Amino acid sequence: MATARPGWSRRAQYGLFFSFLAVIAGIIVGVILLTLSLVAPKSFNTVRGAALDVTAPITGALHEVTATAGGLFTGAGNYWDAANQNAKLKRERQAMLQRMVEAKAIFQENRQLKATLQLREREQNIVATGRIVGSSFNSPRRFAILSAGSTDGVRIGMPVRSPDGLVGRIIDVGALASRVLLVSDRANIVPARLLRGGIPVISQGRGDGTIDVRPLEVGRNPFKRGDIIITSGTGGLYPPLVPIARVVKLDDDGAIALPLADPANTSFAMVQPPFEPAAVAAESAPTSESP
Amino acid sequence: MVRAALTGRHRIGREPAPYAPYVPAASVVVASLLAALPIMSSSGWYPDFGYLALISWRLLRADPWPAWWAAPLGLVNDLFTGCPIGFSVALWSASMLALDLIDRRTMWRDYWTEWALAAVLIGMDRWLQWWLAAITGARLSYFTIVPPLVVSICVFPISAWIVSRIDAWRLRR
Repeated sequence: MATARPGWSRRAQYGLFFSFLAVIAGIIVGVILLTLSLVAPKSFNTVRGAALDVTAPITGALHEVTATAGGLFTGAGNYWDAANQNAKLKRERQAMLQRMVEAKAIFQENRQLKATLQLREREQNIVATGRIVGSSFNSPRRFAILSAGSTDGVRIGMPVRSPDGLVGRIIDVGALASRVLLVSDRANIVPARLLRGGIPVISQGRGDGTIDVRPLEVGRNPFKRGDIIITSGTGGLYPPLVPIARVVKLDDDGAIALPLADPANTSFAMVQPPFEPAAVAAESAPTSESP
Repeated sequence: MVRAALTGRHRIGREPAPYAPYVPAASVVVASLLAALPIMSSSGWYPDFGYLALISWRLLRADPWPAWWAAPLGLVNDLFTGCPIGFSVALWSASMLALDLIDRRTMWRDYWTEWALAAVLIGMDRWLQWWLAAITGARLSYFTIVPPLVVSICVFPISAWIVSRIDAWRLRR
């Protein structure tokens, strides 16, 4: 269909016309599908999950290869600088031992205080553990692929964390893999607070790997460089006291923070059930938007 | 075609490969599948490989595949990259149509024209992705489009070169 008129052949002219019609039909079908996936995000869950199952094993296998290669290089680097590193680690270990004794004492005191208050201790069980194998590296949105799916018990909306901190929440589930909306995505808003002082703040991704944190109460900027932001548990989706990010830069009414669980260095991520399922169900409409 | 002159002497008895008509579409699917690479990026600056391959083929040839194939190819891209389903279906079909209309208007073509056309199409793609993110609740600042756009436009000549190599290989030039 390159030229306006492919000669005198009536057949060729019809062929050209119908191929134009086919392309226009393609556009219309695309717009209808797009509208459907925006208005009713759940309608394509199965298809999207199936596509995840197709690509995730490939990604996982390639991830193993790159992780091994990367490990060899960092391993070699560690040998290179072993003596210095050894001395530094010994110093750090001494400092950590002291801190650990203090922490143990605080932990015991905490338990006694909770017992006197008769606070109900909630058991935080883990639904599944997976590896973060891929990410949406060519999109303005920030997603990651997790190698655990519905066969492991993962469901849409469950929070995901790593030993370092909060990773995000599940938005697509396949049988073998799932897609995680990272905390650095613009649409991921996490109720949080400052570890120092417990001032309530709101954390929202900036789409470039960093996070915007704003205090709930307008006024004085409560942030300092190096502050740790943790989840508050408000809203019932994310469990409380999970570290999210560290403040790196202040701006006029808030701060910019770096997530503590960097998906590039996170080897394992744990999927947990929603913290307060009843509360999440009550307001599931605004929390379950689609990619 | 100027490119044909660059590909060396023609020899008698060399036919295109029997699967030649399907190679372009297959290469676009492979490019979409690059989204499955285990790249961990905290900023989405990588180019949209599937779309780059599509427009590289379409700018190289007027008929790499029947025009309506753009819709199923777009669907495959949507499924593998995690875009909202239907986005690439509509955008890729519209790009095919737009390039057909442009083909009727342009008297001559050179590499700079093609690069400029590709830059405009990539810009549309990036802007639409930004707009789609904005209406699904992730409104980012306009500035975030710029780095991936520049990266994609700089990568286009490489993609066009790879596609022209594949084309020469499938036609046994």
